[in-house]
Amino acid sequence: MEQANPLRPDGESKGGVLAHLERLETQVSRSRKQSEELQSLQAQEGALGTKIHKLRHLRDELRAALWHRRGNVKACIANVEPNRTVEVNEEEALEEKLENVKAVLQAYHFTGLSGKLTSRGVCVCINTAFEGNLLDSYFVDLVIQKPLRIHHHSVPVFIPLEEIAAKYLQTNIQHFLFSLCEYLNAYSGRKYQADRLQSDFAALLTGPLQRNPLCNLLSFTYKLDPGGQSFLFCARLLYKDLTATLPTDVTVTCQGGEALSTSWEEQRASHETLFCTKPLHQVFASFARREKLDESGLLIDCFHCTGNTSAK
Amino acid sequence: MDETVAEFIKRTILKIPMNELTTILKAWDFLSENQLQTVNFRQRKESVVQHLIHLCEEKRASLNDAALLDIIYTQFHQHQKVWDVFQMSKGPGEDVDLFDMKQFKNSFKKILQRALKNVTVSFRETEENAIWIRIAWGTQYTKPNQYKPTYVVYYPQTPYAFKSSSTLRRNTPLLGQALTIASKHHQIVKMDLRSRYLDSLKAIVFKQYNQTFETHNSTTPLQERSLGLDINMDSRIIHENKVEKERVQRITQETFGDYSQPQLEFAQYKLETKFKSDLNGSILAEREEPLRCLIKFSSPHLLEALKSLAPAGIADAPLSPLLTCIPNKRKNYFKIRDK
Repeated sequence: MEQANPLRPDGESKGGVLAHLERLETQVSRSRKQSEELQSLQAQEGALGTKIHKLRHLRDELRAALWHRRGNVKACIANVEPNRTVEVNEEEALEEKLENVKAVLQAYHFTGLSGKLTSRGVCVCINTAFEGNLLDSYFVDLVIQKPLRIHHHSVPVFIPLEEIAAKYLQTNIQHFLFSLCEYLNAYSGRKYQADRLQSDFAALLTGPLQRNPLCNLLSFTYKLDPGGQSFLFCARLLYKDLTATLPTDVTVTCQGGEALSTSWEEQRASHETLFCTKPLHQVFASFARREKLDESGLLIDCFHCTGNTSAK
Repeated sequence: MDETVAEFIKRTILKIPMNELTTILKAWDFLSENQLQTVNFRQRKESVVQHLIHLCEEKRASLNDAALLDIIYTQFHQHQKVWDVFQMSKGPGEDVDLFDMKQFKNSFKKILQRALKNVTVSFRETEENAIWIRIAWGTQYTKPNQYKPTYVVYYPQTPYAFKSSSTLRRNTPLLGQALTIASKHHQIVKMDLRSRYLDSLKAIVFKQYNQTFETHNSTTPLQERSLGLDINMDSRIIHENKVEKERVQRITQETFGDYSQPQLEFAQYKLETKFKSDLNGSILAEREEPLRCLIKFSSPHLLEALKSLAPAGIADAPLSPLLTCIPNKRKNYFKIRDK
């Protein structure tokens, strides 16, 4: 729309009126446009609305058909309807079985002894544990031939595997496996105790923990009081039974070699008993606990109690 | 610091390649962090060595410290020595082995020092439960020669020890005795196994060269890997002897497994056998005495080479059990006689 030239020589009044008229015209056309747009939008809305209705209707129809079908299918289960339904059920049943079996195989790990058949024999897995903590796993791959032999294994070199095999492998394989389990579990348990002592109670140790590969000889110096000036004790633990996690011989001495007062002598003796009857880290945990409730009188009383309860 | 000690440390450091120098010095843990920081490792090697010797003098390095540095150098350069394997045995009905490291070290040292007045013995324990022993030999009248030491790597609570072969063979019995008594065994025997690769010897002796095991967690059974042959490469190529190739692959995999073979450099067979021939009337066939000959197979990696013989078509599969029994029998020296 051409705009009126406001500088026409018709005069200001005419320009004013014409311009005004033009403005009114544009306003009208604009509002007409808007109402047209609104109408078209409404029309679209209406169209979409009907479409939605149609689709909903279709969906309901399909749903009904599906229910109907399912009803048919279920009704046909009793009949001799062909494989399709049986297959679906079989598949589900098989999957469930597979899941079960997998879970059972995993659970076998917690029994400590599990195995898998191989092309030439069986691969036995020994999972060790101590006090409810699952520790390292070891494998022994056996070849089923006459004579039965070990193909390869991951047992540590200082475990007397060859000895155990020489004794039992050919005559009684169950005995062989159980004996090996005993040795490995005991080794894992001793190692666990030594590791815990080194990591959790380093404050009570006054020197490095001396240990050997089998963890059957431990030697260390310790004190009861992490900060202060209590006596230093030297302990030497011997585990002559390789299938045990508690020592067979314990010697605790007081450093300095001076004659001990009776209370310290009692302590020393009670420590010996403690080490013989309780796992190493638990003994040290009890030392640490006692320190917490310590007033020096209370300390000696506690030792008396412990002396009594651990006497076995 | 003694002049001989200074010279010894100097020669040891000079052997160390520049790129390993800081690692080895840190493992030695004799010079402190501060001291090491004052050294400019970018200079010429001679200047670096001079500076290090000066620092060692300040800290008054002893012969023992120098020996320890030598051990660490050898641990980093194990392949420069050839290692023999010894096996000890206890008497029947022996007590459980309660190995005490302190007792062992004291006992070992004492036995050697009682026999030869002049001997330097040093120890270093490693994290894999092994103890490295370095012995520099002297005599009743001469000081120990620090430049020709013998190394022993002993695994406590096992019967096995590895010894670097040296030219001073006369001390071997004494060394064996010291090791046996200190570790509370009765007898020591040299195994017919020798190599430069200490790790491989350890794997063979302790039967740890195959560490893959089948478990229920492994999704597929151990796959067969083609040994360099890709039979299904191009469908336009037809392998006429595909069946044979697969048979060879299968046999090789059964014999050698899928794991990497331990590294040996040679296998030696001493034959003392009578000559066998199809032809009658051959001169050699009438010979009563057995023939003696020595066959030696050498390779940078003997067992891998043997493994690839059949797939490469050079030998028939299965290979002779004399070749394939090497890791199993823990031997690479064989004496073969007529039965």
